[in-house]
Amino acid sequence: MRWLRRRGGTPAPASRLDLRDLVTEVLAGIGTRPARTALTILGTVLGIGTLVTTLGVSATAGNQIAGRFDSVTATEVAVEIPPRLTPDSPPTVPWAALGNLARLNGVDAVAAYSRTESGKEPSVRANTLRDPERVLDRALPVLGATTALPAAARTDVAVGRFFDDGHIARRDRVVVLGEQAAQLLGVTRIDNRPAVFIGGAPFTVIGILGPVRRADQQDLTGSAVIPWTTADDRLHLGPATTVIITTVLGAAPLIAGQAPIALSPNDPAAVRVEAPPDPAELRTGVAEDVSGLLLILGLVSLVVGALGIANVTLVTVMERTAEIGLRRALGARRRHIATQFLLESTAVGLLGGIIGASAGIIAVVVISVTRHWTPVLDAGLAGAAPLAGATVGLLAGLYPALRAARMQPVDALRGPA
Amino acid sequence: MSDVIALSGVGRTFATDPPVPALVEVDLRITRGDYVSIIGPSGSGKSTLLNILGLLDLPDTGRYELEGVETTGLDDTARTALRGSRIGFVFQSFHLLAHRDVTDNVMLGELYTGAPRSGRGERAAAALDRVGMGHRRDFRPGRLSGGERQRVAIARALIGDPALLLCDEPTGNLDSVNTAAVLDLFEELRAGGTTLVVITHDEAVSARADRRVRITDGRLSELDSATVELPVLGATGGRA
Repeated sequence: MRWLRRRGGTPAPASRLDLRDLVTEVLAGIGTRPARTALTILGTVLGIGTLVTTLGVSATAGNQIAGRFDSVTATEVAVEIPPRLTPDSPPTVPWAALGNLARLNGVDAVAAYSRTESGKEPSVRANTLRDPERVLDRALPVLGATTALPAAARTDVAVGRFFDDGHIARRDRVVVLGEQAAQLLGVTRIDNRPAVFIGGAPFTVIGILGPVRRADQQDLTGSAVIPWTTADDRLHLGPATTVIITTVLGAAPLIAGQAPIALSPNDPAAVRVEAPPDPAELRTGVAEDVSGLLLILGLVSLVVGALGIANVTLVTVMERTAEIGLRRALGARRRHIATQFLLESTAVGLLGGIIGASAGIIAVVVISVTRHWTPVLDAGLAGAAPLAGATVGLLAGLYPALRAARMQPVDALRGPA
Repeated sequence: MSDVIALSGVGRTFATDPPVPALVEVDLRITRGDYVSIIGPSGSGKSTLLNILGLLDLPDTGRYELEGVETTGLDDTARTALRGSRIGFVFQSFHLLAHRDVTDNVMLGELYTGAPRSGRGERAAAALDRVGMGHRRDFRPGRLSGGERQRVAIARALIGDPALLLCDEPTGNLDSVNTAAVLDLFEELRAGGTTLVVITHDEAVSARADRRVRITDGRLSELDSATVELPVLGATGGRA
């Protein structure tokens, strides 16, 4: 501290401002114009509120999507097998290879089917009547499948039963219809042992499937399913074109890696595996998609809020020219003036940050409740938001505070109060 | 009696084109307990002299000693400290903070002087009692008359116990009744030992001082207050 010697030895200490006095002056400065302060705060509230809402909702939504994904889709693997180059060459995946896959740890159910090529579906009809008013022939896809198809495709047999190993071994002419296929053909019950004609040959309907819950196997509902041996005999469908697998939770990526080797040891690269994407990647991907645009919006609001604070603080400084002059006359140093205005704008920013963060958190909770989500809130975010608001206020106040500090008390004092 | 103010050879020229000499070779001594009025028309250099006396501006030439301290060589921080602790300002337009009550406004007078916070309220109350405003402590300035506001401003100037009360057109915004009240207060303060410098263009206000100094074109000349050459205007009162 600087001491000045005066005559008689009385020292005059350099001007200083007690911290408590400073706080009082700052609070009084903010409190004298409540309406203006409220409007000034609004920009920061919007900016911080948008940021908190965006980050909170995207974290919440990301968690929800990943959660739903984990429970169902992450347990489904499909293997597509390309057709043979010539009918005589050995199959890429022989039917017997399915057993290798079923033995793997983590596999719940495995089924394979060969499917009629698109555009070459055989005609399927429920009877031999020739009715000129109705189209009775339906071109339906026909699947030659193994017995575990309902389990692997996540469907149930709604009426009757599915064929078993005996039907396959005996190459029986039995058929299980998909839900839509049964409706098209007018087959609603099986206790009267209805028959359908596939490519002209009669097949006994032994069951009708219910809804298919596996998203990538919805084709099944419009198909007719027969034992793969019968399909090979009658329709020359040949070896399997698709293998579908359900796994226990978390095993899908592992099985997806092992399936080609189990099915086609000689040439694993010949088959194409469709496995779910890594849940962790999916989560971040979703979060980034949702939040990117809104984050920019929030930052823009924050900049607008900062400009608002800067503008209003500057106007306040101009309005309070006389007060600044008075304080300088009363012994305030330039730094006292600068600190006071800087703290006022910082306090306004902090207030905006607190209100904005609160509003944002409420918004996240409300959005979560309406969507039946579990709100996910980062505690660090709730703490950082008011600080961000204070920083915005501090930066916005720099220029006005400097302007105030540079003011000459001489000019300020003679004007009207 | 020791000198409160000692100006010697003070000059101030504004660097306009052409340069304007606002003060020329000013010598002025004011001793403790003096009641001095500085009178002059606008443009005579009154404001410049006020700014220099109030340590708000620096002279180009000459020396200015405040209570024996040579101030022209001091830096801004030191002059600010001296200004805050040793000079009490009274302005034409009062400069009270409209949103703070009377006590807060008076306490503002020692906010920056380093005076202890404890006892500040009592000191403000004492200063308000000195100017006869003890009964208006909790009022906002907006509810006071002009004369009352100026008395609050004087209390604010008095709270730091300054060496000098520097008044710039203190009655410029007041009607005759309030002017008389403020001038009466100045006389009471002078009787209590306060050093007063009143800068005005009003001969009637100036006439109340013990000692009168005229400023014309930046030059000072002493007037003998006993031989007032201008008639004292009636309504604002003659010599008390």
